[in-house]
Amino acid sequence: MPRFTPYAASTTRRTFLKGATALATGALATPFLNRRAFAEPTEITMLAWYGHAEPDVVAEFEAEHNVKFKSKYYTGGDNMLGLIAQSPPGTYDLILSDAEYVQQLNAAGYIEKLDPADYAFDEYFPEFQQFPGHWSGGELYSVFTRFGFLGVAYNTDAITEKEASSYRVYWLEKLKGKVGHFDWHLPNLGQMSLLNGNASPYDIDGNAWEKVKETTMSLRSQVGGFFDYGGTFSSLENGQMLSVAGIGDWITGVLEKNGAHVRTAIPEEGGLQWTESFSIGKGSQKADLAKKWIQYITSARGQVRSANMAAYPAMIPNKKGWELLAKETPEEAKRQGMLLGESNVMDLIRGGRIKYRQLPVQQSLEDWNDFWSDYKGS
Amino acid sequence: MSDFNRNPLIDWALKLYALLAFAFVFAPIAASFVFSFNEDRFPSLPLGGFSTKWYVAVATDPLVWEGLQNTLAVGLTVSIVATALGFGAAYTDFRYRFFGKPVYLALALLPPTIPVVILGLAMLAFLSRVELSGHGYSVMIAHVVMCAPFAMAIIRLRLSQMDPDLEAAAWNLGASEWGGMRHVILPFTRPAIFAALFITMAVSFDEFAVAWFVSGLNETLPVKVLGFLQGQVSPRINAIGTFVFVTSMVLVILAQVLLMKRSAGQDVVADDKE
Amino acid sequence: MRKSITLYGLTFSLPLLVWQLLFFLFPLVFLIALSFWTVKNFRLQPDFDTANWVRMYGREVFWQAYFLTLALAASASVIASVLAFPCSYAIAFKFSETARRWSVFLMVIPFFTSYIVRVYSWQVFLSDNGIINAALAWVGLGPFGMLNTTFGTMIGYLTLSFPLVVLLQLFSLMFIDRTLIEAAHNLRCGRLRTVFEVVIPSAKVGLVIAALFCFILTFGDFVSPLYLGGGDPPTLSILITDTTKSGQQWPRAAVIALTMIATLLTVAFAAIGYAYRGRGR
Repeated sequence: MPRFTPYAASTTRRTFLKGATALATGALATPFLNRRAFAEPTEITMLAWYGHAEPDVVAEFEAEHNVKFKSKYYTGGDNMLGLIAQSPPGTYDLILSDAEYVQQLNAAGYIEKLDPADYAFDEYFPEFQQFPGHWSGGELYSVFTRFGFLGVAYNTDAITEKEASSYRVYWLEKLKGKVGHFDWHLPNLGQMSLLNGNASPYDIDGNAWEKVKETTMSLRSQVGGFFDYGGTFSSLENGQMLSVAGIGDWITGVLEKNGAHVRTAIPEEGGLQWTESFSIGKGSQKADLAKKWIQYITSARGQVRSANMAAYPAMIPNKKGWELLAKETPEEAKRQGMLLGESNVMDLIRGGRIKYRQLPVQQSLEDWNDFWSDYKGS
Repeated sequence: MSDFNRNPLIDWALKLYALLAFAFVFAPIAASFVFSFNEDRFPSLPLGGFSTKWYVAVATDPLVWEGLQNTLAVGLTVSIVATALGFGAAYTDFRYRFFGKPVYLALALLPPTIPVVILGLAMLAFLSRVELSGHGYSVMIAHVVMCAPFAMAIIRLRLSQMDPDLEAAAWNLGASEWGGMRHVILPFTRPAIFAALFITMAVSFDEFAVAWFVSGLNETLPVKVLGFLQGQVSPRINAIGTFVFVTSMVLVILAQVLLMKRSAGQDVVADDKE
Repeated sequence: MRKSITLYGLTFSLPLLVWQLLFFLFPLVFLIALSFWTVKNFRLQPDFDTANWVRMYGREVFWQAYFLTLALAASASVIASVLAFPCSYAIAFKFSETARRWSVFLMVIPFFTSYIVRVYSWQVFLSDNGIINAALAWVGLGPFGMLNTTFGTMIGYLTLSFPLVVLLQLFSLMFIDRTLIEAAHNLRCGRLRTVFEVVIPSAKVGLVIAALFCFILTFGDFVSPLYLGGGDPPTLSILITDTTKSGQQWPRAAVIALTMIATLLTVAFAAIGYAYRGRGR
């Protein structure tokens, strides 16, 4: 390298570098001290939405198996897929994704086949034992761990419960410029499809698809913005948006706990269900450990942690998990409607009020997405 | 410049305007500082109680420290390498004319024009094929590519203010090319080299989109900030922001003091500032 | 001017060339190739198919976003340049040596605080119940909708580019030969006329480069239009993200990216050509 760095710069920089390194190592060493007392923990990698590998969820498992989670959080399923596609196989041992992406991960061959006998599906509610998106050709590729509903998210100071009981609330005059969209075509267009009365919102013929487009377009003048996760959070919280389409308790629940006046209602036209599940990455060197983790997080103990996850709350598919949750954190079980022996979320599902969010069946995913871009641009 | 044209009113108006400009630049930083001590999770008026819990949360998160260490290592290396490369390119453009120069310049200036999301994917695709992805140095490689053009532009700008005959004069006085570089070019471009070091380091400190893709599991701090922001909107981002701000302020002030001491001690050759 | 290839010359010219050839050219070529690939079963397949280009260029929303982004970035460059100039001018000519030095350092500071944190922070100022509207309400005005508007996007763009524009302008203003200005004054040249006929032409290169960097930064930025502009209407950078959401459509995103690169290159070479026109070298 050519030498032209001025003398003064190199000295300052050197001292600065030294100081910075000392500072950083000193600080780094502290949190690791107690763990060093035992054997070096095995490292296992997880690719997930934010929060899934935070201490409130993984600490117990880490201690029991002398494991250390190394996490990578993504902020969108498509970036996640792109990342996996271009990374060396085996980079990620565990992959948490939504059911729609499990289908894509599987079709592209990025995840391992699993043995159903390894997991406690018999503890699950019957309707969750063979969740469609997680199985392919009779084989299991992903284990269901948590779910939630999407409906009308609204500001309780501005909108009444009655108004929020239909998707038509988005068209109210007082919400002009105050309706936000969570920026992803699937949940939004699914809600429009439900409003149009389609029994299977994602399995619709050409005619019904045209009608969905029409309904959606008529909403455009009400819309104040299209937001990602963070944007949705803050615009609901600071009242910039009074209602947001395409989300549910996974956002409003967190806000509610922090004192914001927002809530999600499942309207009479029905709600949508999102689902998260764990898969083992193709080529993982620690598949055994990964399996142990999935077993843990889908057991009653792990499910309770999952339901109470600090980052965002969710419902759990394991019935034994419900029982334990009622004992350990009854308020949260109550808030989320997961108490056995009274009206609960399973009744909503069994009453046909809830449809799975999924990839469009009769149209291609591109058609839906292209329409969404057109909608945003119009 | 003492002459009839000096009007104190206009001088003060201009100075006031400059102060307003600083206010605009520092307003979001100040707000972030204030809200980092706010008890509430979400920033809104009126303020909640005073709390340092977000600092505690950041300070006790080993992943943040790991990210910070990566960021510092990457930022320092990137600023030095990118400034060196950028200096070379700027000098080449200033001094030489050769076949294919437009291509050379295009290669030197193209990177910042590529949208980061897709540059990230393309970089990862390449680096993982040559087994250079997923490390701290992967981010470094990518950031040098992205930062060198900034360094080049800043240094080239300074060179364009130099009289090209100055270097030739040095040669005529018997200096070698290397000597001319040392005694004419380097002193003359010194302020620009410093600026380039700072700016490239800063660009690297702040880059998260490409880093998200190529860093794999060895993430830098900005990638984590992105997670805090998009994943859960936590005031921790304000705490980290304030911490980084205060640190860089301290460094800048230190550098200032050191520089002033130095320039007081000896006269700098071609510093043509009055 | 010596022209032969020497070790001396290569020492300075080669490192950048080698680095960019090694670590940049391939990703760039990959990007071009990618735009001809196809997607089957959510997996990218090497291919040579112009379908992505045909489909993207045939879409109205693409051109809409294109011209919107172009207009936004051009406005940002003009606004930033005009707003920054009096500030750089004051720092360069009205501040004392010490104040000037501090000003430069202060303008560098924002680069060290995360852009995304600063943008997020602006939300507190701009929202309907935010600081600015609260202040306006106090004097009986407003409220004004600023968040999720083009105004918001512009504030974000300025947050991103303003300090850099000031610094680059300052760099060229600081080193203007002051005897020129004194000469103008001695010739009884008016204040404004001096600025327009002496200062600006002398600092032209820096002013144009500053505006160019502002254009480059804002043209590709997605943070401001998303967090302060509410993503409505979408810019090209947002459209790129959108496009990938149809099951790994990175090839079509590559088409958008390449179009952006071509546009920026054209603008950059035009600007540089303009900046150096009429100069000796």
